[in-house]
Amino acid sequence: MEFAATVVILTCTYALLAAGIVILYKAGRVVNFAHGELAIVGGYVFYSSGLMAGGMSVWLAIAGALVFSVVMGVVIYMAMMRRLVGEPFYVAILVTVGLGIVLKSAILVIWRAERLTIDVGVAPAIRLAGGASLSYMDVASVALTIAFFAGLYLFFSFTRLGIQFRGTAENALLASQRGVNVNFVLSLAWVIAIMAASLSGVLFGGRAFLSTESVTIGLAGLTAALVGGLDSLRGAVAGAFIVACAQYLTVRLIDPVLSEAVPFLLLLLVMSIRPWGLFGTLEELDRV
Amino acid sequence: MARAGTNLRTNYVEANEVLRRPYQRVLIVIVLAGALLLPAASSTYFVHLLDLCLLSAIGALGLMLLTGYCGQISLGHAAFLAVGAFTTVILTVHVGAPFVVVLPAAALSGALLGFIVGLPSLRFRGVYLAISTLAMHYAIIYLATSYQAKFGSSATAGITIPDPSIGPLVLAGDHAWYYFLLVLTALITAGCVNLVRTRPGRAWMAIRDRDIAAQALGINLARYKLLAFMASSSLASLSGSLLAYYSNVVTVEKYTLDLAVIYVAMIIVGGMGSILGALLGAIFITLLPFGIDSLFGYLPRAWRFGSTLFGVQVGAVGVCIIAFLLFEPKGLAEIWRRIETYFDRWPFRYRPLETARR
Amino acid sequence: MTGNILEVRQLEVVYHRVATAIQGVSLDVPTGSIVALVGTNGAGKTTTLRAISGFLPSEDANITDGEITFRGRRINGRMPHELARAGIILVPERDKVFATLDIKENLEFASREGGQITLDRILSYFPRLAERQTQLAGYLSGGEKQMLAIGMALLCGPSLLLIDELSLGLAPIVIKELMERLRRVTKELGLTVLLVEQNANAALAISDFGYVMEGGRVVFSGNAMELMSHPDVREFYLGGSAQAKAKSYRDIKQYRRKRRWWG
Repeated sequence: MEFAATVVILTCTYALLAAGIVILYKAGRVVNFAHGELAIVGGYVFYSSGLMAGGMSVWLAIAGALVFSVVMGVVIYMAMMRRLVGEPFYVAILVTVGLGIVLKSAILVIWRAERLTIDVGVAPAIRLAGGASLSYMDVASVALTIAFFAGLYLFFSFTRLGIQFRGTAENALLASQRGVNVNFVLSLAWVIAIMAASLSGVLFGGRAFLSTESVTIGLAGLTAALVGGLDSLRGAVAGAFIVACAQYLTVRLIDPVLSEAVPFLLLLLVMSIRPWGLFGTLEELDRV
Repeated sequence: MARAGTNLRTNYVEANEVLRRPYQRVLIVIVLAGALLLPAASSTYFVHLLDLCLLSAIGALGLMLLTGYCGQISLGHAAFLAVGAFTTVILTVHVGAPFVVVLPAAALSGALLGFIVGLPSLRFRGVYLAISTLAMHYAIIYLATSYQAKFGSSATAGITIPDPSIGPLVLAGDHAWYYFLLVLTALITAGCVNLVRTRPGRAWMAIRDRDIAAQALGINLARYKLLAFMASSSLASLSGSLLAYYSNVVTVEKYTLDLAVIYVAMIIVGGMGSILGALLGAIFITLLPFGIDSLFGYLPRAWRFGSTLFGVQVGAVGVCIIAFLLFEPKGLAEIWRRIETYFDRWPFRYRPLETARR
Repeated sequence: MTGNILEVRQLEVVYHRVATAIQGVSLDVPTGSIVALVGTNGAGKTTTLRAISGFLPSEDANITDGEITFRGRRINGRMPHELARAGIILVPERDKVFATLDIKENLEFASREGGQITLDRILSYFPRLAERQTQLAGYLSGGEKQMLAIGMALLCGPSLLLIDELSLGLAPIVIKELMERLRRVTKELGLTVLLVEQNANAALAISDFGYVMEGGRVVFSGNAMELMSHPDVREFYLGGSAQAKAKSYRDIKQYRRKRRWWG
């Protein structure tokens, strides 16, 4: 039972990260190497905003995280990513790497790299069979993740903005000619991705802790996205589940030190067999 | 009087020349002479900084060959530095091999592992290749960590190694190291310059620009990609080995992903696709934290402690990466080229076609 | 509205700051008419359309001289989506529909609230599309893709429709049908069309006026009927005259006389 509980929470964490990475890849063909840092900083912002009025206020915390997502998303896209249109793919990737470093330094400077655990103060846990326990926060997290994915699905399939999103992701030039403000759509993509990342950071901060080392969850999320297929949202969930299982089993049964390496080794395995990921489309492949 | 600009090469002989114009040869002599005389005019601390610059220059040259010339993104550079360091440890502690044997051995082991790490590049490109180099990084670091746990004096204090000696001469002290590293770096730089202006270099650049077209022209992709990986990793291992001797201690904690990113920053800031860029970038990024440290000296004392200084040093590298990629993608080497061109063409100016503004 | 909805005067476009693609190009597009812009490959037709619809920057090109006036207002260098909102809609040569969306979604993408033209009306113009609304646009045939592209363009509520190479890759009979339907629809809706075509026959057949471009300049212009029967145009672009020997256009006296270096 504990296996199930831990894996479910871990899957949610990675799935949210992977979803953000997939959205950014589909929207702008950018592989975001700063996603882990965005998640953790989002977690820190959540924590600090919550404490702004003395005592922990969840509403303030959520508001803070939302503001963070919107501001970061717009700034990252408008000030940086937009200028890189037409450059070779590695330029955008390297810019996100640089961004990750800057965010990490923000953790060091603003929060003095304190290790934080997010505790919204709702202590009693639900005891489950087999000795495992889930806090209310865990349950809320899973519910929020499901709600987020459901919301994404409804948004992309049924709303006009969602359809414009998908069209812009395929051909921004044509979208622009049919009256869509591409800058708005792509900024929105970044905002949504960072919101998902922040939620993931909060999840992780609640279950584990926030620190400069926690940013490695970004790489796990990236491999989850790659395993599932870089352009598939359902692949993000599937990949997250597989990576979470693999990590948990490795830590329990083999060697905890390997936990960081597991996602990559898993990815190497998947790439040798099915390089475009489980649910990815063949054309999205960039290999020899 | 017509005179071709510095960068205009009209035949193959000219294209292969390294120092075409008299002023360039004079400049090189001045730079080398200055480098030789520099220690006499500086503090030991500064010479120490120069040593660090030279050490990272060797590693940066390696990464420049792989990523700047051959276009293969690699995030595994820290792992190769570790390979060099740990090869040194194993050979000195367990076998007692002398310096002159260990250095080439480190380079060789680096080349061997570079071959292995380069194999995925035959199947993957772009992001997938970068991720596979990351996987290799973690695998190698895991092995190094296990070694250190078993043989280290304590799990985190690392392993100490004595100063290297060549025959009766012991290489110790920043000044001695400086001259040794200067000569070595100069030789390696000359080697790299020759490598990139001959067939391997041209093949790499063809692969970087359009590998399918390169293949169609008869360039053996596998051979040259692997060659690039091996050249890069052997230089990195060499650098790691030298650093191990220089600091007399080896710990696996140093070899993080961030270190690999710092080397990537060096080649970005320096300017990808340029040997001069590798050197300039290495010097810039190595000295950057120290520069920030001295800047902080002007600020209130309280700011210097805690993680603020460290945070800013870390952040500065990130800011440099972003700023250079957005505003000066060809790096410091391009700035140098612009200065060169300005003086070369003086008093003429080159004016690009202006768009009408009405 | 009478008069010219679009006027181009002495347009010059340069690619990558070094290559002049078109020079001294002047066009008048009267409101409510269909104007054909024909010529061989590389004549500069697509460049002209790009200049009008604001797509030059994405190709690293700039307008270095000349004016483009739409409804009396200068539109040089405006952003594509601004021009789209103002009523200039371009149907590009390639990638003219969203392949990963289905037909209905493609049309919904373009439609605006309270637009003059409704989705149902478009579907009535193109019954083939109405039959298979949930099919992915990537799987449509060439002619159906064109119909969808035109339908999407119409839903944006254009006043000026710019169409680039409508007939590319289509069978002659499909071209004929498509052109006729285009003429019928646009005349019914009162739209103005600027049609760029390599297939000069098909284009001039439905147009009111025509311009012929060659080497980045306009070399002939006039009534579509006149152009179709002009011996030089027929020989070079419509493929057929009594003396069927291929000649260089430079040899034609008519061209020499009409070559414009001014005005």
